[in-house]
Amino acid sequence: MKHTQGEKLFYNLNYIFLLIIGLSCLLPIVHIFAMSLSDKHALMSGTVSFWPVDFSLDGYKALFKESPIVQDFTNSLIITVVGTFLNMVFTILAAYPLSKRYFIGRSFYSFAIIFTLIFSAGLIPTYLLVQKLGLINSYGALWLPGLITVYNLLVLRTFFEGLPEELEEASRIDGCSEWRLIIQIVLPLSLPVLAALTLFYGVGHWNAFVNVLIYINDSSKLNLAVLVQQMIQNQSLLQELTNTQPELAAAITPEGVKAAGIIVITLPMLIVYPFLQRFFVKGVLIGAVKG
Amino acid sequence: MSEANPSSTSAMINQKASPVKTKSNWLVRKYGKRVLKQNIPLYIMFVPVILFYLIFKYYPMTGLVIAFKKYSFIKGIWGSPWAGLDSFKMIFQTKQNFNIIWNTLKLSGLSIIIGFPIPIILALLLNEVRKLQIKRLVQTLVYLPHFLNWVIVGGIVVTVFSQSTGTLNHVIEKMFGESYPFLYKEFSWITIYLTSGVWKEAGWNAIIYLAALTAIDQSLYEAASIDGANRWQQTIRITLPAITPTIIILLILKIGHLMELGFDQVYVLQNNAVLEVSEVISTFIYKIGIQQANFSLATAMGLFESLVGLILVLSANRIARHFGQGLW
Repeated sequence: MKHTQGEKLFYNLNYIFLLIIGLSCLLPIVHIFAMSLSDKHALMSGTVSFWPVDFSLDGYKALFKESPIVQDFTNSLIITVVGTFLNMVFTILAAYPLSKRYFIGRSFYSFAIIFTLIFSAGLIPTYLLVQKLGLINSYGALWLPGLITVYNLLVLRTFFEGLPEELEEASRIDGCSEWRLIIQIVLPLSLPVLAALTLFYGVGHWNAFVNVLIYINDSSKLNLAVLVQQMIQNQSLLQELTNTQPELAAAITPEGVKAAGIIVITLPMLIVYPFLQRFFVKGVLIGAVKG
Repeated sequence: MSEANPSSTSAMINQKASPVKTKSNWLVRKYGKRVLKQNIPLYIMFVPVILFYLIFKYYPMTGLVIAFKKYSFIKGIWGSPWAGLDSFKMIFQTKQNFNIIWNTLKLSGLSIIIGFPIPIILALLLNEVRKLQIKRLVQTLVYLPHFLNWVIVGGIVVTVFSQSTGTLNHVIEKMFGESYPFLYKEFSWITIYLTSGVWKEAGWNAIIYLAALTAIDQSLYEAASIDGANRWQQTIRITLPAITPTIIILLILKIGHLMELGFDQVYVLQNNAVLEVSEVISTFIYKIGIQQANFSLATAMGLFESLVGLILVLSANRIARHFGQGLW
């Protein structure tokens, strides 16, 4: 197809515009990354842009020596791995029956579940329940109340509904039990959507902030998000460092340490992101097919 | 979501089966033996799910009564004395509390007005890209911020906009000799609040529109171009009407969540200087409920939030159904 002069101009401007938008999503992170690797004087004079100035690892040194970052990193991992596993088990348990036309009470349950999306008890009654169950200060408080996300459940149900019914009939005739059908046929066929949901739940747990703030008081059980937020809000880390290690304290600025903290929490995500990207886009699209 | 419909064949099997008199006889008569048998494994799977929803979603709704009580920690939910509508009076009669509701509506409304059209425009522009690599590259980049925590985004915002050490203020100081307190002035705070929201979610929200765009029948465009319509006319007459149902559904969902402004974004960007415009329902509930243990007032605020949300969804859906686009 031939394009007119005006169309060519539009296409080229569009490319430039979109590339600028795309870069604006990446550059702030690059900027923080450069800051985390720059020397104190460069940070204070504000000369760091997108490349480290006078390369220095002092920010990271201070972070790993004086803050519980290793412990909190481990906590974040435990919260994410166990939480995501529980999420996936429960979401499958809910989505499979709901995808079957012969499941008795199907529309009632669907309504009851979607209702929780538009009306919920809110923070305080949920908090009181968690407290009553003795889950304060335990990761159960992070995992249990959020076992199933309605949106993810709907995505998986829609996918299960789309699987060919003949497959199921054939397996039944061959004497396959319902459990075997699920484990050996349905789940392997659903790997792309399961990967997408795992990523959604995983990112959710890795990024958990409010719930940790609310339910976890024990400082040895906090996760990275809360640690980094505390670092951004106050300077106590630096003061502590001044008392114990004056040399290191003289070499860093709060900004450098904060930048290092932001990078530590962001990096694992940035590393898995390119590999999982095609899965999650597919996952969202499956959810979008039926509106 | 149609009701489980016993097929005619299973009904016939049921009639042939000898009528055994058991307690579950009416179940057998209603659904047929085969369907019942098929349901056994499904129910074994589903019971944990039912328990989850009863315990963690529906049981807490009974806790909402403390909005009408004078909650005392020792006496518990049911032992505490009734207080009638005292908590609600407190919400609507205290100027400060009323201000919080107003802030919630204002920030939320502005986020919708500014944040809602941008993903649509972004999707339309991406749809015009003919070079696949460029499209993929831009998409990868604009989805990225969605996966970052608000703590990280808040950290980035502080790094860039802080008065004494912010990157932007270093530049401004060099040019004008004086820094500007972006995060401590109400207008610039709201601007930063809205922009950071757009930055984080616009790309991600464009995905659904992109999906809707790929579903449009290409022959419509061919027909239109034969009739002499240019790209702009095609966009207005074909593309936009085709994605209107998607737009309306997403708008209903957004309006339904008007009252529940996310806690994280406000909390990480908030500071005492801009409390007047930045205190919203969710941060307020956290502060008076969790930090000060004033459970009755916090629950009342939460209940008010949920109820208004419910009314908003129902009315938005009603309006949409009027145009034939309802959610249900």
